[in-house]
Amino acid sequence: MSLGPLLRKIFFVDLFKGMAVTFKAQHPDACMTEQYPLERPVIAERYRGLHRLNVDPDTGQSLCIACDLCALACPEKLISMTSERDPNTKKKVMLTYNLDLSRCMFCGLCEDACPTDCLELSQDYEYALYSRDGLVLDRERLEKGPEPTVYLR
Amino acid sequence: MLEYLRSYMSQPVTPGEAGNFLWATIYILLVVAGVSLAVLFMNWAERKALAHMQIRLGPMRVGPHGLLQPIADAVKLLTKEDIVPVGADKLVFYLAPVLVVITAWTVFLVVPFGPTYAVTDMNIGILFMLGVSSLGVLGIVMAGWASNSHYPLLGSLRSSAQMVSYEVAMGLAIVSAVMMTALDGHGLYGVAANHLETSGTLSMIGIVNSQAEQGTWFIFKFFPLGLIAFVVFAIAMIAETNRAPFDLPEAESELVAGFHTEYSGFRWSLFFLAEYSAMVAVSSIAVTLWLGGWLRPFASVHGPQITIPGYWQGGALDFAFSLLPALTFFLLAGFCFIGFVRMPKLPALRLQTLGLGAFGAVLALVALFLLVPAVRDRVQPIYWFVVKVSVFMYLYIWYRGTFPRYRFDQLMKVGWKVLLPIAIGVLVATAVLGVAL
Amino acid sequence: MTKGNAYTYHIERKADETFLDSTELILNMGPQHPSTHGVLRVVLKLDGEKVLGTDCVIGYLHRGVEKIAENRTYAMFNPYVDRMDYTAAVSNGLGYCLAVEKLLNVEAPPRAQFIRVILTELNRLASHQVWLGTHALDIGALTPLFYAFRDREEILKIFEKYCGARLTTHAFRIGGCIYEAYEGFEKEVTDFCNKFEPKIDEYEELLTTNRIWVERTKGVGILSGQECIELGVTGPVLRASGVKWDLRKAQPYSGYDKFDFDIPVGANGDTYDRYLVRIAELRQSVRIIRQAVAGIPEGPIMAKVPKVIKPPAGEVYVSIEAPKGELGYFIVSDGSTQPYRVRVRPPSFVNLQALDKMVRGQLVADVVAVIGTLDIVLGEVDR
Repeated sequence: MSLGPLLRKIFFVDLFKGMAVTFKAQHPDACMTEQYPLERPVIAERYRGLHRLNVDPDTGQSLCIACDLCALACPEKLISMTSERDPNTKKKVMLTYNLDLSRCMFCGLCEDACPTDCLELSQDYEYALYSRDGLVLDRERLEKGPEPTVYLR
Repeated sequence: MLEYLRSYMSQPVTPGEAGNFLWATIYILLVVAGVSLAVLFMNWAERKALAHMQIRLGPMRVGPHGLLQPIADAVKLLTKEDIVPVGADKLVFYLAPVLVVITAWTVFLVVPFGPTYAVTDMNIGILFMLGVSSLGVLGIVMAGWASNSHYPLLGSLRSSAQMVSYEVAMGLAIVSAVMMTALDGHGLYGVAANHLETSGTLSMIGIVNSQAEQGTWFIFKFFPLGLIAFVVFAIAMIAETNRAPFDLPEAESELVAGFHTEYSGFRWSLFFLAEYSAMVAVSSIAVTLWLGGWLRPFASVHGPQITIPGYWQGGALDFAFSLLPALTFFLLAGFCFIGFVRMPKLPALRLQTLGLGAFGAVLALVALFLLVPAVRDRVQPIYWFVVKVSVFMYLYIWYRGTFPRYRFDQLMKVGWKVLLPIAIGVLVATAVLGVAL
Repeated sequence: MTKGNAYTYHIERKADETFLDSTELILNMGPQHPSTHGVLRVVLKLDGEKVLGTDCVIGYLHRGVEKIAENRTYAMFNPYVDRMDYTAAVSNGLGYCLAVEKLLNVEAPPRAQFIRVILTELNRLASHQVWLGTHALDIGALTPLFYAFRDREEILKIFEKYCGARLTTHAFRIGGCIYEAYEGFEKEVTDFCNKFEPKIDEYEELLTTNRIWVERTKGVGILSGQECIELGVTGPVLRASGVKWDLRKAQPYSGYDKFDFDIPVGANGDTYDRYLVRIAELRQSVRIIRQAVAGIPEGPIMAKVPKVIKPPAGEVYVSIEAPKGELGYFIVSDGSTQPYRVRVRPPSFVNLQALDKMVRGQLVADVVAVIGTLDIVLGEVDR
């Protein structure tokens, strides 16, 4: 072995280089931990989280036009809705809306399919439950949002 | 009562030598408590330091910055269900962790924290330490055998083979350090004019005293021979305690957990205690033999160090060094204070913040206590010993965070084909230099 | 050793043989194991520590993805392909979209192609980070895992901002991209590249010259180029054995011929060479990303694709260079809205066949290193 590599082997140069890397990593600025739940993560705008049925902020009416496109687009057939035709405006109005979260993969195809901005995958990710009953979201829950329990301590 | 205490304080020998059973027992209890406290602290320090090296935080929730985590772990381990595998050899199963812990703690009988701060000073001190720590291997083999399962058996056989092989290199490195105690010269290459009048010693206190008399730590003696012997010992001691990069017997990815797979709860915590106590023990051997034990750097020599007040009656430099323990505790209290100030102002964290503040206050009180002259002069040796052993503990953690693991055959190759020849070479060279110079 | 059924193995013993006579030990690195990268069961036949033979039992993660495809429309099946190689989901989506586009005979517009290349190369970086971290962890180095995942975190944040999900991205659609590059996309990707290149040097400093790493990986799991070709092994494993074959250069797709990059090739075909090849691929991917970001053209991001996708009857096989090897999609269409058959050629499945050849005669500790160096993902192996 030539002199350079031999000296590097005897004096453990490779081991010291590795040790220098780990030593430098101890700087507090290098630490990447986000202490949830004290520090919340910053969620992107396009994040595909829990579903939301949007209402018109001025009138309070649902933006849904009962076209059923979201139900047709879902790969797992998880959306079911009923509607009726409003005799006054001759437009279809959504009555009930049920979304089964148990097999939802949050792919966003329903959000892509919605022609108005009614069905939207919001940025909510905190929807853990103690029982499976809460997994079927009805229209009320979808319009209000998840409302997770906030613990004070 | 006070007279008895005061008369005791100026004893020139360790209580074991003086035949003083009461004080020897008190020292033993103090040493066991100290080692247990060190293991507890090492648990927290390892998790935090390793985490920071891995750019994460480690325990933060249990106490402020995870300070109560070791206590939580201890409580959890004590309350766990005690599972004994079917078909296990019950007596051997119960005895194995006990044996390992006893050997790990018995070693501390001769470890000197100061000129007379040891339980006893055997004239074969270092030999005793080496012999008793070898008995720990028996405990590991017993653990693997009694578990009646092939993973622990494989792990224990590997572990014992590894420990035995590296003990040879350790022993030879120790012999070359012990040879240097016979030199009685002064300076890095000094030897006495007439060799035949001096004699070496195996006693731990004697080894440190000879380093003080020769005016140099053995790591620098006959440079680079002392350094090479120290490096050989440093590598062998990591393999001896089954730590990274020699921790294949405990590697999770291959053997689940090695010889302590089938142990749960308190029995496992005994293995854990024994492993960390063994780490402290071999570090104290390294510190005593090569790094000058309880001597402070650039220690001035005032003849043989027998009476403690006499040793520290030095000049301004001695006084400055004597303030260091208090300064260290003030520094730690300062860290606590900075952490206290930087805690987020949330109601959930109020108790933790108060706890951190109280802990900082306690550290500051200890620092003030260490400024009292009577205490200040006596605590010096212990302080330097603890600092040096702590450096070794940090190195252990650093190695664990950095290096991959050696495969078993490569591990044995390093022990037998690399370390052993180097250790023999250093031994021969030290002997030759000791006679020739 | 004969197989009783899928779960039991018998060793044939001679009539007067006792337990102490047998030299072979059957060791089960079971589906639950810290180092098998998923639920993989490897049954090892050992002589002491030496491996005499292996048998892989897979199927613990089989979810019937190819069967599901027969009951979904082409656009609906897109989210499912992400779940196969879940460490590099964007590549799966790219392969599928390219295959259906070939069936439909459309091509994505240039802007969409550039965005696809940027995301696919970022996804290659992310997949190699997982490989680096887990491989180092198996060999015993605990810290590169965290450093690798720190960098992967930045990539996943970019994915989240672009398409809304970190892992199961569903980034592309048939005909192009549905998501426009968000505000600040180019700047963020460039910043990431600038921050990432010194980190590659950090990994190299930690591992490449480290004597323990070299001893653990040099000469372990050697696979010659000829054996690779015979077994059908592709990807970095093939390139480390000396065969210079990369689908991005050999059969360019999605505009890769516009970029200038090298193909790293190894010499010996051992684990160390595979490590060096993947680290070099990290650098080349950063190079591609920089070129793509610098030259993104303006224009539409979606080609003219009918709302209901009904490709003409026929079959197509399209393969791309996924981070783990050649990922191929064989789609048979019968003219309806649902495919007749979608067959996925997963690189990990084919690479795993090489495990037996690579590990014979080596020690048990090397099996773990070799599984790590093959970079398998069980989601892909089992589908």
